[in-house]
Parts: sequence; structure tokens; C-alpha cells
Amino acid sequence: MAKINFIEADGTENELDVQEGWSLMQAAVSNGIDGIEAECGGSCCCATCHCYVDEAYMDKIEAPSDNELGMLEETVAERKDNSRLACQIKATEALDGMKVYLPEVQS
Amino acid sequence: MTRFNLYSAEFDANPFDTYKELRDNHPCFWSEDAEKWVLTRYDDVVNALSDWQTYSSAKGNLVDEFPGRAGNTLGTMDPPKHDEVRSIVQSVFMKRNLKHLVGPIQQIARDAIKNNIGDRKVFDFAEDFAGEVTYKVLVALLGLPESEDSTEVKRNALLMVQTDPETRQKGPEHLKAFNWMQDFSTEVIELRAENPGEDLVSQLITAEVDGRKLDLIQVQTTVTTLIMAGIESLAGMLKVFGYNMAKYPDQRQKVLDDISLLPGAIEESMRFNSSAQRFRRCLTKDVTLHGQTMKAGDFVILAYGAANRDERKFPNPDVYDVTRPSKGHVGMGGGTHTCLGNSVARLAMKTAMEVFFEEIPHFSLAEPDDRLQWVASSNFRSPVKLLLVRD
Repeated sequence: MAKINFIEADGTENELDVQEGWSLMQAAVSNGIDGIEAECGGSCCCATCHCYVDEAYMDKIEAPSDNELGMLEETVAERKDNSRLACQIKATEALDGMKVYLPEVQS
Repeated sequence: MTRFNLYSAEFDANPFDTYKELRDNHPCFWSEDAEKWVLTRYDDVVNALSDWQTYSSAKGNLVDEFPGRAGNTLGTMDPPKHDEVRSIVQSVFMKRNLKHLVGPIQQIARDAIKNNIGDRKVFDFAEDFAGEVTYKVLVALLGLPESEDSTEVKRNALLMVQTDPETRQKGPEHLKAFNWMQDFSTEVIELRAENPGEDLVSQLITAEVDGRKLDLIQVQTTVTTLIMAGIESLAGMLKVFGYNMAKYPDQRQKVLDDISLLPGAIEESMRFNSSAQRFRRCLTKDVTLHGQTMKAGDFVILAYGAANRDERKFPNPDVYDVTRPSKGHVGMGGGTHTCLGNSVARLAMKTAMEVFFEEIPHFSLAEPDDRLQWVASSNFRSPVKLLLVRD
């Protein structure tokens, strides 16, 4: 389990215990967090699970694939240096305590 | 309990008592009738949906599969191939690309009410409204020829999702329907190849994955599946929503009083009694769960309809409550194979039902609940006919 705090654009915090191996998108969707849409269900082809990850944890997450980098071009909200797709980040114990910020819009 | 008959009319009508028994006492259940494992708890179903490496779709996702279908549709491919093909078709189904459909869907819904229901007091919501709206939405989305007689397409789509309750396999009539739909898809593909448009079929024909076009069989089987899944699951979802709105008038009144509750009411309907009840996976390795060991190569039924009633996840799961936070349900599946059409289904249901409530706000079931006949399907659940009477 990793405790991960999903912070919505309005500041609402949702601290979830995420099972190892689950994607951050899956955890957010299963818990009904509105700020993640995930229209494609995690196939890395819709860019509606866009999130901004805690800078302090950037080096603990596997680097984005070329495919993800391509999809990050398609985000509706501003793409920043810490932009990622939540479906491509698997929870590990190393991510315990991480904050994930959700954009105002996904689509 | 050691057995339950997945193929009985009683189970089609009410699977929910059996689901509870399975969740509580046999969460990892070997069904001798189906010769498959059945998972019914929310966490187990979501875990399986998230782990496509272990719970593979490549041997088919229908509980009872058609020969030659597995491997040739999105729902029966594993990543990476799945993701490549999905990336081609996904954009057509994205919420941001569907806004142009709102006006046409409103018109489709108005026409269905005017032409099929008129001022009749009793009408069949299934045929007169849900079926009609669904077919016309698919015409707009997929580029099906408008001239086609929709009765035959709908009849064959309905046959395709059924299973022979005696042999527990697809029977000759179901195979015939599958072949009919493959031929129909071929006609549509040929038509679009000659006159390409902005529609999905045109995009599938011209798309390239790794520099190669899709094989004809993949385009054909994908289009066949989109028609079958589109017709049967969107119409099924609409029928079930109409049923819930008729059966729980206090909940309907809440939606009528505050139409902003409609999207939540639709989500709750997908949780409470989604038309997508059960899908299949095949294990790629041994898995031990709740003291049972499922072997590599075994088939596993993921019972979405049971997971959505799991009290471990949803409090008072057997209550239909339009104000409940029901997101997180698996009524559209989950993980990589989440329903491709989830956004279009939500948009079509919301738009069509807004029109319906304007015209016909008050109605009830015209016959007792226990007289309803449910589609004989090991995957989907919806009433064959839904006679409603205006109040």
C-alpha cells in the first residue's frame, strides 16, 4: 500500500491507500474522484487522466514512454514539467506520501 | 450452494440473490455449469480488470464466444496490440469530439417519441424509444447507411448476444446472426472505401498501425462488434434506465425536480443493474484467491453486476438511489478494456432522457415486474420488451 493524496483543482484533498501495482488512475476512478476522467481506461490514448506529480517524487517514478510523451501533447489543461498521465504510474511503496495535483479540466 | 444455472430464465430475471450468496460464501467460485470460475467481489473484479497480463482477453471476452472472433476485436486483444488499435478509434469516442452529436440526438429522441409513441397511453419503451434512438445514434457515429432497414440489424444484434440455454453455446441461429452482421459490416466497409467520410468506419479503413493497415478481418470484426455492442449495450442501458425510472417513482421525481441529478441517476443505474453483467477472461498463470487455486488456461467470469452490489464497496447496495456517489462502479467494465463507447453512451442517455422527461415525465410499468421477459444472455441483461403506461 502507498498513501497518495489526490488534490483536486478546488483544493479538495483525497488521501487514498493505493494497492501496489494499481495505477494512480485506477485508484482515483475506483474511488470516484471527479478530477480524473480516464475515458480510455488506461490504454494511454486519451490524455484525460492528466495530473501534476509532486516534484519531490519525480525521480521515484518510471520515466514516461514515448507514447505517453506524445499523449501529453494532447492535454486540455496546461502541460507543465511535472505533467504525467495517471494511468501510466504504478503505485509502489516508494510513492508513499506523494501528492498528485489534478488539473481544472480534462476534456 | 454448489451450483447455479447461468443460462436459466430465472437467473436472467434476477441474478442478484445468487450474486450475494457467491460474494459472501463463494467469492472464488467454480461453476460446473459454465465450466468457468466466477468472481463477484468488487476488489477482485477490479484487480482482475487492472491486471490484463494475468487476466487475458486474447481468448475472447464474451462468456460464450463466437469462433474466429477472439483476437480480431479490441475487446479480445491484449496490449500492446490493443492499445495501438484503440489509439486509432479512441478519438472518435472522446467526449471533446462528441459535442456535435447533442443536437442530432435531441432530434432523434423527439422524432422517436412523435413517430413511435405519439399520444398512445401504453407504449414499448424498448422498441419505440431505446432501440430507435440507439440505432440512429450509431448511424451518425459509425457511418452506417441510413437507408438500411434497421429492423434486421437490430434483430441480428440481439441474437448475437444470446446463448442457447440448453447447449450453453452459441446455437446455429446465433452463428447465423454473427455471419449476417459480418456481411453487413463488409457492405458498410466497401461503401465507405468508395466514399470515405469523417465517420469511424472510414477512419478504421485508412488507419495504420506500425505502418501497416489493419487486416480486413480486423476491420470487419471490429465493426461487427461495435454494431453489436453499440446496439445491445446502449439500448440495454437505456431500457434498464427506463425500467428503474418507472419502478422507483420517488427517485424519478427527484430527477424531474432537479434535472442536474440526471447524470448521477444514470451512473447509479449503471451500478445498480448495468446491462453489462458479465465478461470473460483467461488466466495466463495460476492464481490463488480465497483459498482456491485457479489454473493457467482456466476461464474466469468477471461479474460486474455482482461487484456493483458489493456492500464491501457500496453501502446499502440493493437500494437504487439517484443521489448516491456511485462513481467507481464497473458497469462499463474497467482497466484497459473499459467500454470504448462510455462517453457516447453517457451523452446519448442524458440527452435522450432529457427530451423524454420533457414529453413524458410521469409513467409506470404497464405489467407486473415478474411478467417481464429478460434477454437470454450470459453477458448482458435487459428486458426484451418494456411496456410503460403514462400516469
